[in-house]
Amino acid sequence: MSSTSDKLVERYLKHLDVELDDLPSNRRREIVGEIAGHIGEARAALGHETEADVRNILEGLGDPAEIATDARERFEVSPHPKSARSEPGWVEIGALIMLLVGGLVLPVIGWVIGVVLLWTSNAWNTRDKIIGTIFVPGGLGLPVLLGALAASSGGGSCVQFGPAGSQPAINTCTDQGISTTEVLSIVGFIVLVLAPIVTTAYLAVRMRRASAVAIA
Amino acid sequence: MVPPKQDALLAQMRKGTLQYCVLALLADEERYGFDLVRALAATDGMVTSEGTIYPLLSRLRRDGLVETTWRESTAGPPRRYYRLTKAGRDALGGFIDEWGRFRDAVDHFVERKEQS
Repeated sequence: MSSTSDKLVERYLKHLDVELDDLPSNRRREIVGEIAGHIGEARAALGHETEADVRNILEGLGDPAEIATDARERFEVSPHPKSARSEPGWVEIGALIMLLVGGLVLPVIGWVIGVVLLWTSNAWNTRDKIIGTIFVPGGLGLPVLLGALAASSGGGSCVQFGPAGSQPAINTCTDQGISTTEVLSIVGFIVLVLAPIVTTAYLAVRMRRASAVAIA
Repeated sequence: MVPPKQDALLAQMRKGTLQYCVLALLADEERYGFDLVRALAATDGMVTSEGTIYPLLSRLRRDGLVETTWRESTAGPPRRYYRLTKAGRDALGGFIDEWGRFRDAVDHFVERKEQS
């Protein structure tokens, strides 16, 4: 029944990883890695492994929540998420607004303010902050800027051959069909508009999760 | 039956002294995590949850009291070996002196009480 045992171990380690969420990520990785190593050593030391053996190993290690409580004390990380993560305040709300539309109000600077607020807040973990920064620089300001640039460089891809005014001017306006590049730029534009909206919604949900934990 | 308050005190004492037991185990030889845990668990009453050793080791490493090296193992994946640093040795030495005094002082009172 090695598959059941593997599943037990996997579930234990996943649970532990979640419980250690409050620790700095390199510490968390180190502790989870060492405990995974411990389980491996203990299992290797068994002659013929049974599921009960694996359960005993995990029980000997202790409840992940208990290990996490101990770890938070060791690292002097506040045991209550309430003080570790602040209630969503003006920093969080400001970060979300500036990341999304800051670039529209104050080109570049508005978005940069949003990033600064995002990284100042402790309502998000580092991974969320990276996501918020990467998707998408400039927020909605970027697609609007690109759209404005595209519009100013001429509406359609009309190319006229022949001297202007001459009778048989060949007009190759692409009115009838849409070219591949146009399709691609429209798709790109939609993605650039949606990405910051999706990211902002994601950050809002993650923040609410953190504050829900804080209230609990 | 030990009253709950006393239980909590014993847990705190165990927790506070555990790191010095770990440092003492590393005084003569370097050890990997599982080996350390096995050595600690062999003495009854020192460790209740073996998993709590690992946050402790991580903290000792961050505080510079131990340092680690990965070594290949004949039995499986590489192991992280822990050994004392100079600071770790000093901390252990300081604790041993203090602990001796403290233990004698407590013994002095509780053992006399028991005899009378």
